[in-house]
Amino acid sequence: MTVVLDSVTKSFGDLKVLHELDLEVGDGEFLVLLGASGSGKSTALRMIAGLETVTQGRISISGRDVTNELPKYRDVAMVFQSYALYPHKTVAENIGYPLKIRRLGKSEIESQVREVAEQVQLADLLDRYPSQLSGGQRQRVALARAMVRRPAVFLMDEPLSNLDAKLRGHMRAELKHMQHELGITTIYVTHDQVEAMTLAHRVALLEEGKLQQLAAPKRIYNDPENLFVAQFIGSPPMNLVRGGLDSGIFAFGETQVATKHEGSCRSAVLGLRAEDCEVVDPQSGKLQAKLYANELIGDHVLVTAKAETGMFSIKAPKDFEAKMDSNIGIDFDLSKLFLFDDSTGARIR
Amino acid sequence: MNHAAMPNRTVLQKLFERPSIHTMAPATKIAVYGILLFWTAFVVFPIYWLLITSFKEAADVNGGPVFLPWIDFEPSLHAWKELFVFDYKDTLKAYVNSIIIALSSTLLSILIGSMAAYALARIEYKPKFGTIVLFVACMVGAVVAIARLGADLWPTLAAALGVFYFLARVLSRHFKLTVGNGDILFWMISQRILAPIVVVVPIYMMFQSVRLLDTHIAIILTYSVVNLPIVVWLMYDFFKSIPIDLEESAQLDGASRLMVFWDIVLPLSKTGLAATTLLVMILAWNEYLLALFLSTSRAQTMPILVAAMNAGERGILWWSMSVVIIVMIIPVVLMAIILQRFIARGLLLGAVKG
Amino acid sequence: MNFATRFSEWLDRHSGRLFITPAVVMILVFSIFPLVASLIIAFSRIRLRAGSYQVRWVGLRNFEKQIFGSEQFHFLGTFAPISAAGWILAIGATAGILWWLFRYASRRFTIVGFIGRLITAAFGIGLAFLFAATLFSGKPFGTLGVTLFYVFIGCGIQFVIGLGLAFLCTQPVRGRNIFRVVFFVPLMITPIGVGYAFRMIADTTKGPFSPLWQWVGLGEYSWAADAWAARIFIVVGDSWQWIPFIFVVLLAALENVPRDFVEAAEVDGASGWEIFRDVTWPQILPVAATVMLIRVIEAFKIVDLPNIMTSGGPGIATESMTLHSLFAWRALDLGQSAAVAYLLLFVTVVVCVSFFNLVVLGRIRKS
Repeated sequence: MTVVLDSVTKSFGDLKVLHELDLEVGDGEFLVLLGASGSGKSTALRMIAGLETVTQGRISISGRDVTNELPKYRDVAMVFQSYALYPHKTVAENIGYPLKIRRLGKSEIESQVREVAEQVQLADLLDRYPSQLSGGQRQRVALARAMVRRPAVFLMDEPLSNLDAKLRGHMRAELKHMQHELGITTIYVTHDQVEAMTLAHRVALLEEGKLQQLAAPKRIYNDPENLFVAQFIGSPPMNLVRGGLDSGIFAFGETQVATKHEGSCRSAVLGLRAEDCEVVDPQSGKLQAKLYANELIGDHVLVTAKAETGMFSIKAPKDFEAKMDSNIGIDFDLSKLFLFDDSTGARIR
Repeated sequence: MNHAAMPNRTVLQKLFERPSIHTMAPATKIAVYGILLFWTAFVVFPIYWLLITSFKEAADVNGGPVFLPWIDFEPSLHAWKELFVFDYKDTLKAYVNSIIIALSSTLLSILIGSMAAYALARIEYKPKFGTIVLFVACMVGAVVAIARLGADLWPTLAAALGVFYFLARVLSRHFKLTVGNGDILFWMISQRILAPIVVVVPIYMMFQSVRLLDTHIAIILTYSVVNLPIVVWLMYDFFKSIPIDLEESAQLDGASRLMVFWDIVLPLSKTGLAATTLLVMILAWNEYLLALFLSTSRAQTMPILVAAMNAGERGILWWSMSVVIIVMIIPVVLMAIILQRFIARGLLLGAVKG
Repeated sequence: MNFATRFSEWLDRHSGRLFITPAVVMILVFSIFPLVASLIIAFSRIRLRAGSYQVRWVGLRNFEKQIFGSEQFHFLGTFAPISAAGWILAIGATAGILWWLFRYASRRFTIVGFIGRLITAAFGIGLAFLFAATLFSGKPFGTLGVTLFYVFIGCGIQFVIGLGLAFLCTQPVRGRNIFRVVFFVPLMITPIGVGYAFRMIADTTKGPFSPLWQWVGLGEYSWAADAWAARIFIVVGDSWQWIPFIFVVLLAALENVPRDFVEAAEVDGASGWEIFRDVTWPQILPVAATVMLIRVIEAFKIVDLPNIMTSGGPGIATESMTLHSLFAWRALDLGQSAAVAYLLLFVTVVVCVSFFNLVVLGRIRKS
């Protein structure tokens, strides 16, 4: 089932939280709406659910215009950040509630609840109350309650952010597998780029109510559309050097770097991912810096260095060792750098 | 580093300084327990006096104070017997009246009040200011017509409502200014400021004109409205504290407003409902002034019965009166003792947010 | 769609109105409509006939009678020339109130705020002069003064004792739970019962303290015949009943004060009193202001206790305004009854709105 947003705008009084958002979600697609808090991603999701009214534009689900429909006629199921489990109902009653509202028979509800519960490994816990469950189990109940209706679209509002780090990783994999198996169109809101990159077929990155880029995770990482996307995606964030671009030569301070780009730009930004940089001996390499801190992450050492142009993050091999405040040089692969126009944020290709 | 020296304490310091953080200084301890015990005595004594008076003979009461049964005086059950065996009819009737009225009016005000409170907590209302002014104007017109021109009560009211409906249909498009939920809420709660004495005479006349004076219905309806502000206020805060996710989730699953209210909201508000119910029930049980106006004999409630015992031929029969008062307060005091914490929490909820 | 579904659809679509309509209609019928009708009655003279009544419009004459006419002694009190001390008091109070008004006007100024404060100020000045001309000159108060006495003195005492008891109950005291249950009980007892119980206890010849009275030589003294003793006894009975309410709410508020704050102050070396003043008190202030507002609203309605304990006597010394109105109704003088009731409403609204705006909202704004 497809979901189409056609230049949807949302304002609260004078405050415009969403600017003409265009979005097309294909059948069975897993789309992630990614953004910081206040970017409008939750508002967009709640408008698809029908929990917020639309100021301007149209929303259609499965080809049917639902812009002014009540939530219950949209055939969408939602998993809330808080899970929204009814504390006074058992797990079975929670999962069965959507069916009860549809006035299904008792035995039918029971068999469907059991079926779904087995899918998410909750069959033993059906008589418990939500307060007696662990975080992960509650999460699964919320999921089961959404699944039991076989809706046209799943909507998920940060469903994993209340779990601890370890469980989150586990549930992420489970969620991805489940969505693949059910094949139901899913729109998923998160502020966590790792979740977005790992789960999504496509990621829509929002900032201040505007769509920044809509692309597959790989593309959004390797080919960011603008400065904001480049900075938002990736951990640690991309290193930035401000300077000027003159017919392919990027100049900052005394240093000049020849790039493969041809254009000119008075104030440009050069972006480099930490894994594309390398620590070399002092006085060699393209940049001189002082070591600020080095942290052993496991498979690599994250080096933070203080250069004239600002802080720099570099992923060094795991056997890297150096003293604090010692001088180092930084080198990087010219083919892997990104260039942006500092005034507009647009990529210089 | 510099350690503060532990001083050697003098006797006086020992008396006034706490030996550890979880205990009081000896002097404070004496004062605190003294005050608390004094207050306990002050609270308990009137109740105790009522209790022993109910077991006294006339001679025990009139001959000066006696305090301890079996020591000072011989307790007798004559007042209790008189009430329960010989003269039970009036008391029983008033008791039953009181129970019926307290229960029904509480039920009604809880139902109506919590529905309104929920609506104000969750649904956005934008009534137009002009429509409200129009309505008040029609009402004033009707009342003036009734009072000054001698028009009949009910036809005039119906006519005024009709005029209002017609004018509202025609004019409402031109009204721009709206009021919000907060204003409606304030309006409802502020009804509590209204002293009952201000409205009781017209209410009396209203019930008289439909021949409902001295009936349960009249008192039940009046009590429900008087207690409505309390219900709306306490329950509004309670409903606001329920996570809205739960209701939105149910809505997405296809539940109607009524189902959300009945299936999700009310079961989650049990504690708030219990506290509010108890409070409203006690207020209805003890109410005096309105019942004084609205009941004469058939629908007489306990407070009226007790108050009327003032005027006897032989002076006040303190022993009989004590029995009736004790019978009247026993159920409430028992409930209060059991649910004391509950009520405090319910009251606080309203008070904190105000 | 069949009928049942259509009906439930209709219900759902109109649920907004359906939820709130019953409450609105109830309030309109039993509160607003009578309020308007009562105002008409206050402007009329009504004669009850068999089965019906005759209404005659008399304009403001009912109010005039209460404030300037033959009922003045009853409502406002008996006037006497203001003595020198009375002038000093009244002018001092006026100056204070005007200074407060001036300070407001010179700092921040909104028209609505100023008009509201102007009404409060006029009310305060009027009360100061009334007090100087009646009680302070040795003449009795009317029902207005008595009601305000019950409200301000009664509520003040109740607040101080209620807060004190609540504070003691948060201390490490043994049997705390028993104390709190016992202290709570009077609230549940019907005011009529309270009235009779206190009448028995206060009896100087047959009551429990009569030996004590005899010993101090007041055996023949009847408190019910002394205006001040009677008023004070009613305040005592009222306080006995209502301190529990303030106690319970403030106790809950005190227990809600985060432990961290108190412990931080404790570590910083603050004394018990300093902790209360600087940490606990600001935390419970909003609750305290609200609970006092509720209490003041209810206190204005006082009728049961004076009616039972003294029937308003001696003379009119303990008569509250509600009782005043009730007696007028008993005398079938509906117009006067409604006029007094409306005056009560006016006083209540001025006091409560002033309190709400200046204390409750003021505190909320500050915090």
